[in-house]
Amino acid sequence: MDLRGAFAWLDVNLPGSVYLRESLFGFPILLTSHVLTMGLFLGLVIMMDLRLAGIGNRRTTFSDLQRALFPWQMGSMVLVTITGLALFYAQPLHYYGKAFFWIKMALLVVAGVNALAFHFTTYRSADTWDTPASVPPSAARVAGIVSLAVWAGVLVFGRLVAYNWLTYE
Amino acid sequence: MSLLPLFQWMASVPFFQGTWSDYLGPGLNVVHLLAMVVFTGALLIVDLRLLGGVLKQHPVAPIARDAQPWLVGGFLMLVATGIPAVMATAMTQYRNPMFWYKMYFLLAGIIFTFTIRHRVARADEARLGPIWPKVVGLVSIALWGTVAASARLIMLL
Repeated sequence: MDLRGAFAWLDVNLPGSVYLRESLFGFPILLTSHVLTMGLFLGLVIMMDLRLAGIGNRRTTFSDLQRALFPWQMGSMVLVTITGLALFYAQPLHYYGKAFFWIKMALLVVAGVNALAFHFTTYRSADTWDTPASVPPSAARVAGIVSLAVWAGVLVFGRLVAYNWLTYE
Repeated sequence: MSLLPLFQWMASVPFFQGTWSDYLGPGLNVVHLLAMVVFTGALLIVDLRLLGGVLKQHPVAPIARDAQPWLVGGFLMLVATGIPAVMATAMTQYRNPMFWYKMYFLLAGIIFTFTIRHRVARADEARLGPIWPKVVGLVSIALWGTVAASARLIMLL
């Protein structure tokens, strides 16, 4: 079975999927929950990235900010993922045919790889560069700017999934 | 006084009619959403601090001062994209109760954020005591969360 076949199978065989897709309030409530938890998650990621890029929140060190925001970022990431999966669950085949959906998924992977790469390389030496009011070294600033740009892309393409552009069978 | 004539006028502005407005609406939505997450981040970092959820060892005022340009910048961008977005769909908005809920809570949010919350975030924390900052953080999150939720529901319900 190819990927499209798998999505088509999910479309008719997931229990409750049709109910979710057709219900008067289920889908709006789900979409609204996705947007609210997205705001929580991305808002806090942006605040951290601005500090990393050296363009915002400079009165606090990056490490302090990262440590403080991390549990909130992870908690909201779980919520935004659950609501996102439920949206996908409601209509898998609908999303399969949307180019913007796949671009968003690819960008999510890039954002994750960028965060992990920074964490295991440049962040290791944070003791040497992370002081209040300091501008982080260029490797850290690049990681922050890449993160801001990629997450902006995730948001933009996520919103554009709602329109009919580049939609295939 | 009814606002109907205002919305009828907005719906009649030629700039927002025709084929190209098919792209104007989505474009405005995307920028509105980007501004929304910047605004939300700047709002939440201070609200969570007021609630004692983050950076407890750090005083509130410097965090609020750092967040302020992003809060105001995000807000101005939200207004700048929100007004033409309403103009492009004026009568749909006018007839939708969710749009009016959003406007009422938005008005309350603006007044609260730039008066009470602004003062509390810069006040001497020893004099405020432990309760008021938490109340302000909670009210702020509730008000703006309601704005965001009713905004999303405008085109859904």
